[in-house]
Amino acid sequence: MNIADPTFEWFALSPVLAVLAAACLGVLAEAFLPQKPRYYAQLALAEIGLLGGFALLVWNWSAAAVSASGAPQAVTGAKLAMGALVFDPPSYLFWGALLVFGALAVAVFGERAMTGATAFAASVSAIPGSQAEADAIAAKREHTEVFPLALFSLTGMMVFGSAGDLLTMFVALEVMSLPLYLLSGMGRRRRLFSQEAALKYFLLGSFASAFFLFGMALLYGYSGSFDFAVIDTSLATSEMNRGILLAGLGLMAVGLLFKMGVVPFQSWVPDVYAGAPTPVTGFMAICTKLAAAAGLARVFFVALGGERWSWQPVFAVLAIATMAVGVILALSQTDLKRLLAYSAISHAGFLLTAVVGAYQFVPEGQLNSLGAIFYYLVAYGFATIPAFAIITTLRDTSGGEATDLAKWSGLGKSNPLLAGIFSLLLLSFAGIPLTAGFIGKWAVFAAAWQGGFWWLAITGIGFSLVAAYVYIKVIVAMFFGEPAEGVQLGQASMLTWLPISLGAIGTLWLGLFPAQLMDLIAQAQVFVK
Amino acid sequence: MNPDLVLWLAAILFGIGALGLMTRRNALVAFMCVELMLNAANLVLVTMSNVHGGLDGQVAAFFVMVVAAAEVTVGLSIIVMVYRSRRSTSVDAANLLKQ
Amino acid sequence: MIPLTIETDIVFWICGPLMVAGAFGLVLFRKAVYSALSMAFVMVNLAALYAAMGAPLLAAAQIIVYTGAIMMLFLFVLMLVGVDRADSLVETIKGQRVWTALAAIGVAGLIIAGIGHVAAASAGLDSANEAYGGNVQGLAAMLFNRYVFPFELTSALLITAAVGAMVLAQHARLTPKKTQAERAAERMEAYATAGVHPGALPNSGVIARHNSIATPALLPDGSISGESVSEVLLGRGAIVDTPALSALTAANFAGVAAELEGEEPPVPPALDTGPKPASLEGATPADTAELAPESGASDAAVEDEEESK
Repeated sequence: MNIADPTFEWFALSPVLAVLAAACLGVLAEAFLPQKPRYYAQLALAEIGLLGGFALLVWNWSAAAVSASGAPQAVTGAKLAMGALVFDPPSYLFWGALLVFGALAVAVFGERAMTGATAFAASVSAIPGSQAEADAIAAKREHTEVFPLALFSLTGMMVFGSAGDLLTMFVALEVMSLPLYLLSGMGRRRRLFSQEAALKYFLLGSFASAFFLFGMALLYGYSGSFDFAVIDTSLATSEMNRGILLAGLGLMAVGLLFKMGVVPFQSWVPDVYAGAPTPVTGFMAICTKLAAAAGLARVFFVALGGERWSWQPVFAVLAIATMAVGVILALSQTDLKRLLAYSAISHAGFLLTAVVGAYQFVPEGQLNSLGAIFYYLVAYGFATIPAFAIITTLRDTSGGEATDLAKWSGLGKSNPLLAGIFSLLLLSFAGIPLTAGFIGKWAVFAAAWQGGFWWLAITGIGFSLVAAYVYIKVIVAMFFGEPAEGVQLGQASMLTWLPISLGAIGTLWLGLFPAQLMDLIAQAQVFVK
Repeated sequence: MNPDLVLWLAAILFGIGALGLMTRRNALVAFMCVELMLNAANLVLVTMSNVHGGLDGQVAAFFVMVVAAAEVTVGLSIIVMVYRSRRSTSVDAANLLKQ
Repeated sequence: MIPLTIETDIVFWICGPLMVAGAFGLVLFRKAVYSALSMAFVMVNLAALYAAMGAPLLAAAQIIVYTGAIMMLFLFVLMLVGVDRADSLVETIKGQRVWTALAAIGVAGLIIAGIGHVAAASAGLDSANEAYGGNVQGLAAMLFNRYVFPFELTSALLITAAVGAMVLAQHARLTPKKTQAERAAERMEAYATAGVHPGALPNSGVIARHNSIATPALLPDGSISGESVSEVLLGRGAIVDTPALSALTAANFAGVAAELEGEEPPVPPALDTGPKPASLEGATPADTAELAPESGASDAAVEDEEESK
């Protein structure tokens, strides 16, 4: 017996491998470095891995955009690693966004200027309130494993959005989820909440991956292959009973929509977002959504695009339900983290409208469904990472985060700069013109409209008007409310301020000058089969 | 043999697993039900591998076992962590996050 | 690999119903250990089915990885978190169980209806297996060629699992470990200042019919020594009621003595006079009957018990 050697396109794979290598080196650093320098080494390693990966990605793009003779050419796609990955133009986009947002979110992980420690428990294994915990805090222990864990999760996310077959996608789904389950349970304060969030996220998450797996098995049964391209062709040629296809499609959708936080699979979102340490919430909010949206689009546009008449109506109903639940429940929230969690649910609904449109073949220079989804997510990412970073800065008398909405009253008088930035981000969430969020909302609703779902686009506009009330209520409280007692702003370092300021600049820039990013997306928004 | 029967069996096992996960209070038993659902999916993969005459399905079932092993490690350590904090593995006891 | 010669149909009709029964056991048993064993039972049957369906490697992996490693991990954790607690059957959400059952039946029914009739007969694995000379070789060829990337990606999964288990469970030692000399000095100091006995704790009681660790030893005055059983057992109240046993023995002995003197034997006292703890293997009415002095054999037992005191 003789097995042919597999071939790897090392240069094209290098962005993923850089992140994976940084994660593995981080685990080694955890084992061999003494405690003091470990934090700095881990933080540096994580940022170098992510920014290095981004540099390699840009290099790849510039190499692919120039033909052998030196003339510029359109970037095309290629299958990598024996077909396990598809490195097509949308992969460049999603990898780039994951790496940039990952770098910003991981910087917030490292913040310890405000309380002298990171947001993660001194010793996760110590029982909350026990002597062992007090000892660990006194000894200034900290868990620097969070950096490699975040990098492993990012590796999984990058692969998930660019997988070429369902099997790779399933493995990537777990690679991205397991570290998140762990990270949610590692909060420093309100540890019982945090642990409960981890348990809940884990049980529901593994339930959803079981659905994904069963659906994947049925799709394999229908088409005889895991490969997206083969599944696509088998839609017309398979002699199997079509019921298998529909059952598989439905079950896979459950698994994917769960990760997006779409109704009726949204119940984990508020609890996990509120219970997890705030930097982790920021990381999950954007990076998981990016990966899930890319994966959802790839499965339903590439592999199951020929079957769109059976899933579009269902997704349209789910999109409306998601927007409704997200917006209406956000109205009654009194905790800022929960409010942003419900806002995240409503954003999943807005995203889903573009998926429903499934508007793929567009005139030159316009955004199709995938381009709209990507633009929306970039706008959301530039708003959500700084928003959660700002939540970490307001502290109550015990040094814990003051997430109660009442505590944010009057912030505009004591710190107009921070309150101003936060208002800008909230306006972007609401989709007010001149912010990135407006262009994003416009793009997804346009994609739904062009795809023939004009009624869905109109419903979405209605809900986004209601949602604006939620955010404006917070802004009004910040600027016109009485200053709250017993809270103060922590002295955050650059690790928090850099993501906040970059996010604010990005939100404004993409709102005022959207053309540049749109041109880039328009070149790179078609999946390769 | 007739693949229909095996697939029906897998669907029944999957349904029982889903039922258990949603009704059992004990986090450990709930998690075992997830394992049952994964096993049901494996059974589909192996059957379909037979139907199509290719080994992809068997390879996938092999991957599922690896993934399940890693998932169980993480899941059980989370359950033990929660148990140590509150002396209970009941998912009903975990209700701090309810509004 | 030796092909399994039994017809697949026969294996299916034996293992299939057993698997469904095991799955119901998993869901319906109130005790978590029974659930875990039902699950292991399902998995072993599944392995048999794999073997019959031309997947010998998976059958072995199913036994070794799933039943041998994963289920045993579950059992370890079950032992860790306490096995004697049965699940509460109180519904916290009204009507939840009925609705869930309907939903689950609906899901399974929809899938079955969707699957319906596959429409294709099995192609069989013979040609796929022959390509590389066997099932295991064929799987290896796919694993190390077409699926080599996800295979390597599982390493990230395994590292995550190892790091995660260590983060959540390992507690770093913050103070140096005490040496044996320091421990001995501490014991002697405790003895000198507080009079704490410095030696080993007493053994559990060894009595004619009971020598389990749940049997407390008796002090010379007939009371039990709390130090002789584990604190955990004391806390649970799961210990044998030794004084009651010894009272019975003493009564029996008195009865025998009286009989020897030619008098009517007094009625032995009922066992449950004192507060009877919820015992693991406490005296039952059957014990009482056996201990009644009726024959020579039981006399010997009485003597044994007497000696052990």
